[in-house]
Amino acid sequence: MAKYLVRRLLQSVVVILGVTLLSFLTLHLAGDPTYLYVSERATQEEIDQTRALLGFDRPLPEQYLRFVVRLAQGDMGNSLRARTPALPLVMERLPATLELTIFAMVISTLLAIPIGIISAVNRGTALDGGVMLFAMFGQSVPSFWLGIMLILFVGLSLRWLPISGQVPVLVPLLQGDLMTAAENFPQAFRHLILPGLTIGVFSLSRNARLVRSSMLEVLAQDYVVTARSKGLRERTVILRHALRNALIPVITMIGLEFGFLLSGVVVAETVFSWPGVGRLVFNAITQRDIPLVQAAVVTFSFIFVLLNLLIDLLYVQLDPRVQLK
Amino acid sequence: MKRVFSPLGILSIVCLLLAMPLMVSAQAALPDDTTLVIGQSVDIASLEPSLVTSRQEANIFGHVFATLYEISEDGTLQPYLANSYSISEDGLEWTFTLNEGLTCQDGEALTAEDVAYTFQRAANPDNAFTGNTVGFVMPGVGYVDARADSELEVTIVMDERQSEPLRLGLLSEVYIHCKDSYEAMTLEEAATTPIGSGPYRVVEWVRDDYVLIEKVADFTLRESGFERIYWRVIPEASTRVAELIAGNVDIIANVPPDQIEAVNNSGTAEVQAVQGTRRMYVGFSQRDIWEGEGAEAIRNPAVRRALQYAVDVPTICQQLLGVECTRAASMVNDPNSNPNLTPYPYDPAEAERLLDEAGYPRGEDGWRFDITFQGPRGRYLNDAAVVQAIGQYLTDVGINVTVEILDWTSEYLPAVREHNVGPMFFLGTGGATWSALYDMTDIREPQGGTNYTEWNNADWFAGWERLANITDPAQEQEVINEMLQIMYDDSPWLFLYFQPDFYGVSNRINWQARRDEQVIVYNATLAE
Repeated sequence: MAKYLVRRLLQSVVVILGVTLLSFLTLHLAGDPTYLYVSERATQEEIDQTRALLGFDRPLPEQYLRFVVRLAQGDMGNSLRARTPALPLVMERLPATLELTIFAMVISTLLAIPIGIISAVNRGTALDGGVMLFAMFGQSVPSFWLGIMLILFVGLSLRWLPISGQVPVLVPLLQGDLMTAAENFPQAFRHLILPGLTIGVFSLSRNARLVRSSMLEVLAQDYVVTARSKGLRERTVILRHALRNALIPVITMIGLEFGFLLSGVVVAETVFSWPGVGRLVFNAITQRDIPLVQAAVVTFSFIFVLLNLLIDLLYVQLDPRVQLK
Repeated sequence: MKRVFSPLGILSIVCLLLAMPLMVSAQAALPDDTTLVIGQSVDIASLEPSLVTSRQEANIFGHVFATLYEISEDGTLQPYLANSYSISEDGLEWTFTLNEGLTCQDGEALTAEDVAYTFQRAANPDNAFTGNTVGFVMPGVGYVDARADSELEVTIVMDERQSEPLRLGLLSEVYIHCKDSYEAMTLEEAATTPIGSGPYRVVEWVRDDYVLIEKVADFTLRESGFERIYWRVIPEASTRVAELIAGNVDIIANVPPDQIEAVNNSGTAEVQAVQGTRRMYVGFSQRDIWEGEGAEAIRNPAVRRALQYAVDVPTICQQLLGVECTRAASMVNDPNSNPNLTPYPYDPAEAERLLDEAGYPRGEDGWRFDITFQGPRGRYLNDAAVVQAIGQYLTDVGINVTVEILDWTSEYLPAVREHNVGPMFFLGTGGATWSALYDMTDIREPQGGTNYTEWNNADWFAGWERLANITDPAQEQEVINEMLQIMYDDSPWLFLYFQPDFYGVSNRINWQARRDEQVIVYNATLAE
């Protein structure tokens, strides 16, 4: 086990470096970032000075090597725009993104399981057809459009929920301020619903379809037939015998889902003015704030790598046939 | 098959989920009698006054930091921290006299030393600032040094004589900050802890969410209406509009033209359309890097003049920008432009006649010449559509135009700054209401940074030389008018319009939008 973990961690370092190299090259291929840091009336001399000041006058390999050396020392440099260390800027926004991602994952999972079961149990009926149609819609609808529609209908016409903004819960919680976290919770919940739905609908639809197909497969197994023939109540057959086995592929998917949702929050964060990492990175990319982008890339890569490792370890617990080599 | 879930159970869960949001109180940070909420598209990058680069940042900083003079809505320059100024005989030393009894937000007296320090700190290369003060104010005024002559008198030393309104207007962009506090802070601390000199102080900045400022009780130079102002960051235009209509924000900028009607019909807010100061034009690049008949053709002033008649600018404004506009006749904003210049009319027949005369008749294929016309996407109001419309108008008079729409940040901006955009290109550059020369400095040198066409007209540049020796404002305006006539005739730009700005304003307040993209709200009040 220890050997496996060490190997995986070493692989992770290579993955993270690879990702930083790719993002570094992509940002530089997209044009000289210096122009974004000077006024439109700047002279050529000022542009050259700024270029040198920001270090963009050095050869690209040298710039990247400097970044790697600093990274090895735990320093990701200062944001070019904010003039403050880049990593704290990312960590400052991470709780908001985690709140949104976790909320979206919870609602998509909690709703997907009963929807998938109902659909499987009622296979071939109008209810099943309706649910699957909805699932297909959920997977096809662009999240940007859905977000705007939710704002216009639920936020503006019905006035049920806030249109935009965020109220923090995780930050006071992490700071040990339980009172503020508890006070903020109702507001936070209201603010979470629309953006959470916007990014969660795709996952909800996919998971519902997955639960349905997995349930259908399990329901056709001999042990389910046996359970029914023993005269067990249908609810017991479904929830105790079938669902447990049907959930194994779903749990695997949910683990990966977190990473997917994390990367998909940019649109929801923009539409709902959610102050998370997605928007931070999006703005940093448009402003070619390379240290900030790199800090976010390293943080996200680290989370992805960690998640994958956890999922692999979870496999062993779920399925004894799987062994770590 | 038996039921797994009872309908009553499912209904209960659904009801609970639906009811939860309704059980809690209303959201925070809403407008009230003492609180104004403004929705902006981007957040500030820092609270460091010497790093301000965008108009959105300047809007907030303009309330927290005061300036020596202030640019008023009508373009006149009004005393602010300073009550007067005098200029030395040689025009190189400007001495400002500060008002008495000024205080910084750290409680210390605001004196000439603070003003001198502001300039010295911005100019200090160790601080490596890249904001507007260092980027264009200091080079623009020819800054050399600043010194405190007495407690209330500060002198700014410049390197050459210059137009008075131009220099005063530029100096009015410098946010005065307080020496004691800033000397004691590191640059990182200063980027998050502003010690201002204006009518409001920063209470809280939640990055990418909002900046909250509150009124400074003992600031007497300006009357402020609201106790608190929230500057909320709402990047998506549709969300900003929805928040305005819902009554959750009072002022928003950049209302998309297609949503103006929705705002006006809401009953809660209205859109104020103002003619902005940004000059939108089509540039005719004169660089010799371009090859082909089209690039050659637009080096001929007669062709450039002919093309002025080919584009129906008022229709573009009406159809694509959602507003009536008058076509621009010069690069200078009113009221500082040459009043004798009239906008070129839309007259395609005249355009065709002049092109024939210039030696570019239609060929057998119907085309006069081929040319590439580049424009950005996502920078200016409906920019890509405007570029395509102009391309179509030029096609109608026999120009075989290839329209290229490029991404602003990754492709267009670098190409513009390196003068590699063209041979025809669409661009907008910021202007001012307070000085014709500010607008004209776009073309200050033949290869100057902002002379993107590299137009090199000897008479025009001779005009600049004449201006350097003129001190009389009337004489200065005379030379300006002559220069604008030269530009009108030689047409290095195809004049389009001054970009309109659309502000959504809640009916609960009285506030008037300005032309210069500044959102100044300390004069906003509650409607009766």
